[in-house]
Amino acid sequence: MSSGISFAVNGRGVTAQIDGAATLLDVIRNDLGLTGTKEGCTEGECGACTVLIDGKPVHSCIYPAVSVDGHSVVTIEGISDGETGRAVQEAFWDAGGIQCGFCTPGFIVTVAALLENNPAPSEDEVRIALAGNICRCTGYSQILDAVEVVVSGKERA
Amino acid sequence: MTIVGERFRRTDGEPKARGEAIFGVDYLPQGTIHAVLLRSPVPSGRIVGLDVSAAKAMPGVRAVISAADVPDTRAGWVLREQPLFARDRVRYEGEPVAGIAADTLEQAREARDTIRLEIEETPAVVDLDYALSEDSPVLHPEWESYVPTLGEYPRGRNVAAECISDPEGVEEAFEAAERIIEDEYRVQRQYQAYIEPKGAVAIYQGGRYEVHTAHQFPFNVRDRIAQYLDIRPSQVRVIGHTIGGGFGAKLDASIEPHACALSRAAGGLPVKIVNTRTEDMITCPSREDAITRIRTGLDKDGNMIARELVVIAGNGAYSGEMPWLASIALHCARGVYRAGPTRVKSFLVYTNTAPTGAFRGVNGVYLYHAVERHMDHIASVLGRDRREYRLQHLFEPGEVLLNDQVLDDAGILGEAFDAVEEAAPWEERLAATAGPMKGVAIGAAWWVTNPMPGTATVKLNEDGTIGVITAATDNGSGAVNLGITQIVAEKLGVQPEDVYVTMPDTDAAGFDAGSQGSRTTRIVGKAASIASDEVIGKIKQTASELLEAAPSDIVIADGKVFVAGSPDSGLTLGDVAMAATWSVGPIQGTGSFLTPFPDFNPGCATGLMFPSFPTPTYHVHLAEVEVDPVTGAVKVTRYVVAQEVGKVISPNGVYGQVSGGVTQGIGYALYESLRIGEDGRYQERNLENYRLPLAVDIPRVEFSPLEHPDPDGPFGAKGVGENSVLLGAAVIANAVVDAIGVPIDRLPITPEVVLKAIAAKHSAAVA
Ligand code: FES
Ligand code: FES
Repeated sequence: MSSGISFAVNGRGVTAQIDGAATLLDVIRNDLGLTGTKEGCTEGECGACTVLIDGKPVHSCIYPAVSVDGHSVVTIEGISDGETGRAVQEAFWDAGGIQCGFCTPGFIVTVAALLENNPAPSEDEVRIALAGNICRCTGYSQILDAVEVVVSGKERA
Repeated sequence: MTIVGERFRRTDGEPKARGEAIFGVDYLPQGTIHAVLLRSPVPSGRIVGLDVSAAKAMPGVRAVISAADVPDTRAGWVLREQPLFARDRVRYEGEPVAGIAADTLEQAREARDTIRLEIEETPAVVDLDYALSEDSPVLHPEWESYVPTLGEYPRGRNVAAECISDPEGVEEAFEAAERIIEDEYRVQRQYQAYIEPKGAVAIYQGGRYEVHTAHQFPFNVRDRIAQYLDIRPSQVRVIGHTIGGGFGAKLDASIEPHACALSRAAGGLPVKIVNTRTEDMITCPSREDAITRIRTGLDKDGNMIARELVVIAGNGAYSGEMPWLASIALHCARGVYRAGPTRVKSFLVYTNTAPTGAFRGVNGVYLYHAVERHMDHIASVLGRDRREYRLQHLFEPGEVLLNDQVLDDAGILGEAFDAVEEAAPWEERLAATAGPMKGVAIGAAWWVTNPMPGTATVKLNEDGTIGVITAATDNGSGAVNLGITQIVAEKLGVQPEDVYVTMPDTDAAGFDAGSQGSRTTRIVGKAASIASDEVIGKIKQTASELLEAAPSDIVIADGKVFVAGSPDSGLTLGDVAMAATWSVGPIQGTGSFLTPFPDFNPGCATGLMFPSFPTPTYHVHLAEVEVDPVTGAVKVTRYVVAQEVGKVISPNGVYGQVSGGVTQGIGYALYESLRIGEDGRYQERNLENYRLPLAVDIPRVEFSPLEHPDPDGPFGAKGVGENSVLLGAAVIANAVVDAIGVPIDRLPITPEVVLKAIAAKHSAAVA
């Protein structure tokens, strides 16, 4: 069964005819061709597919595309439109928070959302906010460093 | 030096941060069709029926192939034993039986569902001891006919490989011992769990196969495809893409050969295969399950005077590179401590499970776990301080090992203990963790830097930037995008952002042995450094004519070329490149490098396939934990590392490797459990129940790099990436035992294991 939906992606209006079983991730990657959002597990576990819906991070691989009708979606490609998003991208790169980079879009989207709501989180708050994102490469230290850089507004020593 | 040793941003960081990087699974050329594999649902059986006719008639289907449609060959890294599709027997759950390519993924899946596969199940061989016994069925009745690729080695029945060293004097030493301490440790498999699942696109065109894959070792993929398809390697071109992690699991071919065969069957259309997460997990060459039995004889003063180590490790149904690694037990049997005459028996055994393979710290993690747990056991029996007991037996400079390799630089171990002592004084930490449910432990290791060959071509572009052509891969570590890049930038006096390194392409670049064993920065960095020297010579030659000075007086720095003493009156690198191009021809140079194996005694063991450890590095780790007696959860509260690196090329890169490796070690120690059920199937089958370390679990690792530059390495570099995983299981297990006061002899130490151990202690106390 297919249905028509309208929503915004990175600030632009989209109307799509979608299969009822399609996930938001399918639509983003396959229909819209935005491959910055990654598919790591399709089980809602790894967080590589994280996007923002109305500013809140969700795992798009388990989010039914029909439910996004009328809402606003921001993907990694749209994150650099915002000042916070740009600062987070820069800080991840600078602090060594990126290794293979496959988890990176999901982390950056999650951190950008966190800092929009809470510009000065404690390290524990950051760790908890990242509990839905798995990074197999970094051991998280340099990701935490990156967040610290954005929060403090200072370069890492 | 202005570039090497300084903190730079990785050159591939920006596209990764912006979501622009195209990873292997993102690659989708025009006209691609999609394929899936029909995999064996059972771990052991005989194929009695396979009917694909309905699948061939399904909508959108372009090709359906199985063993009958491909050459009757067997392929393998070390032993040619594995068919592309199971022919008459299946030997593990997930073994490919057929491949289906269709216009869409859904169509391929629907067609797969119509295939009638009949398998007569046979009992699965699962238990390692049973597999070794004479009673067990033989997985490969035809094992004698299999052809080894690098010369024959000891194997037989269900023994995929063995390494045995039984020198004189071991029995006598045990007889002379005052007491003997014995332990047995059991460990599960560990899944590499890279976040990008395996995938590939293959295109058959003009009699050749073009393969796009995000792979750690493109030349190995090329060679494996050639074996399976019975063609020569140069008929395959493998092109690398950005890799979403590998950790050893992407060193051998997996679905690439199937994609090749399907593309040919589909008339040359590009065929893409991507594993689902469950498929990826249950067929992944995970870290092997193992049983380690260790015995030590002690004299009346408590000195270690005799050692025996027996390891039985799970090979799974086919060998991959595992036989090559069975001899690592010989190199780790004593850890880094003197223990008298030592006997080592290492068996790699076939079971009806997915083939195991390389995972960062191959074999070492559970060998060090066994040795270091055993050391703590001995110290506790003797009532000795655990650190002091280690120092008393520590390898010394000039240490002669079981294979007669000599460690001239083993004194670095003492320095590493000192560095950890400075960060976390032992007596102080003992006092700090003296309370109930807190524990601390220390352990040490040595390790190899993979010596295998690599090559690079360095060219000076006409705009003064630098190009590096190599098949070296950056699996995320930064070995290429920081390591090689910073080395070349330093040599040629440019900024790292002006160095462009190609992605691997087996047609375009010389052989490279892949991103394994921390080799890339050292081996390919050195090759690129040699190539840079050739470029420097040519720059100086050209500039000497332009500037009318002797080549030896020409200086290259900050993108400029000038006569020593007059930096302001020079040329740009671009000027020199242009001048050379239109006079003598473009400037480029090439370099190749490998590390020879250190001398060893070939008679010290049978099956010594990994004979000695080139470019050794040394490591000391300390961990502190807190145990929650109610939930059984273990929290790692502190983790300290001192590690010999040769020379830090990139501080960001080195710390990232240490932090990442330690985290995988913590995962292995506490959470990650890939259990094989009695039926031969994995019990954990997705990331929901295969628990990976999260940001909330991991402390910031405290790290002291030790630098003893290696004269053969580029700027002194040794291997860095792999080693930090080696001691996590060892020190965390010992710290947990210290905290709860009960031995735990298996991994992972999950909350259930902790609670059970605490309960056993209490009931023992009551009884
Ligand atoms: S792909 Fe969505 S959570 Fe892993
Ligand atoms: S950088 Fe590789 S998974 Fe996070």
